[in-house]
Amino acid sequence: MPEQAVSDPDLARDFIRYAEANMAGARNVSVTAMRRIHGGASRETYSIDLAYEDATGPKTRGVILRKDPPDSLIETERRVEYAAIRSAYGKGGIPAPEALFLETGNEALGRPFFVMGRIEGGEPLNPFSLEGLGEARAPLGRDFFRYLGEIAAIDIEGAPIRQEIDTPTPDTCWKRELDHWANEIRTNAREPQPVAEAAIRYLAANPPPPAQRLSLVHGDYRTGNFLHDGKGGINAILDWEMAHIGDPYEDLGWATDLLWGGNDEARAAGLLPWDEAIAIWQQASGCKFDPEAFEWWSLFSHLKGLGIWISSARAYADAKNDDPVLAFAGWFTRCAHETMLAHRLAVKHGVPA
Amino acid sequence: MSDITMILGRIGATLSRDVAPRLEGDYAAGHARMSGLLAVMAGELLEKEADLLVNEIARIRSLLEGAGMADDVPEAASLRLSELRKTRNSLAEKLIALQTQLEARDDEGAKALNTQIWGHLLATSVARMPSPPQFHEAEEA
Repeated sequence: MPEQAVSDPDLARDFIRYAEANMAGARNVSVTAMRRIHGGASRETYSIDLAYEDATGPKTRGVILRKDPPDSLIETERRVEYAAIRSAYGKGGIPAPEALFLETGNEALGRPFFVMGRIEGGEPLNPFSLEGLGEARAPLGRDFFRYLGEIAAIDIEGAPIRQEIDTPTPDTCWKRELDHWANEIRTNAREPQPVAEAAIRYLAANPPPPAQRLSLVHGDYRTGNFLHDGKGGINAILDWEMAHIGDPYEDLGWATDLLWGGNDEARAAGLLPWDEAIAIWQQASGCKFDPEAFEWWSLFSHLKGLGIWISSARAYADAKNDDPVLAFAGWFTRCAHETMLAHRLAVKHGVPA
Repeated sequence: MSDITMILGRIGATLSRDVAPRLEGDYAAGHARMSGLLAVMAGELLEKEADLLVNEIARIRSLLEGAGMADDVPEAASLRLSELRKTRNSLAEKLIALQTQLEARDDEGAKALNTQIWGHLLATSVARMPSPPQFHEAEEA
């Protein structure tokens, strides 16, 4: 089936009306291409090519529209995601998209949405197919850990995200996150979860050291959530919807979770030797690597994964969202994280490695 | 044609190799490719699900017996997967309660039984892990 230049003409018409009213100085706006992007199951995501004129002549611009799904109850998270992108944009070398518009009402497009500038020239990376990177693997890893550190180093005082979300104290970051994901698991699980329950008890009984600093936490920084140029450079860091303020070790643990690195234990995130990755992260973040903190947050990342996948499975099973990627997440990735968690905790409890 | 695993595998191959490439550039292509992977996974699990559940039920009953914990969960009413799953889930709730009790104790007997429970949880997780998805095959088709 040939690709339609504008996949949803009604949405395009409404978006043109919105853009003409909100893009300063723009007139004769048209949508020359619009397509829905697969993935990003929590929101409907569209890539849009705009053409318009302003005082200096004809212009074109690519934008990304993130529109709430029909049953969304996540207004707070949308505002937080928008504020997180604004907090990171222009900081260090972080390739965060430019946040353009946030619309919390239903009038313009039928549902709330926000719009970002599209970063051109990159492609996503499948975390299950890292071997195809070849010589780009290590340079990509250097960008990956530098930007991770730079996000941790953003001064959150006065950052837009401070206005949208509570700031924990350094010694409560871990508990807030553990309580949140334990609640997600218990609310959404369709069967008893003995591994998750045991992990929740273990993590609560063995807390990490207090956060070395309070940082912007991306919340889902990993392979698959950035665009790369194929030559070892990261063009864009995406999917800020789980962003919050917390312990930067949360992002480090999640980014280096074995699931996102093709189960490659020799390389951090499947991209770079561990020593080099940690050195880059320390330099960019200003944090000192602490094995005790890392062990806790690394274990926690498996549990957080379970929380995400169990919630995905519930949304699919309840027919709230028909995207089959939710079923895959609720099955394959849930099993993967449960096995990792069971293995690490079993060894701690006397089962031979 | 009662080989359901084979049929689901063939449906998966059709979606991934025949349907998805013809939808390329359309949002539905991703759905078709992912649905194909899920069909193959469903076929694989269907082949072994009853065996997995029967083994999990037997192992949990054995652990509860080892702890002297009352096992009042009745046998599954039939070999239907839904009935086996109901029994396994009731037993899993008891296992969670048992493990929580053991963690509150500090004696060697409790530690040894907890190690056995962890051995069971790990073995169960490994047995339930689906085969790695064939993303390359689906993408290259």
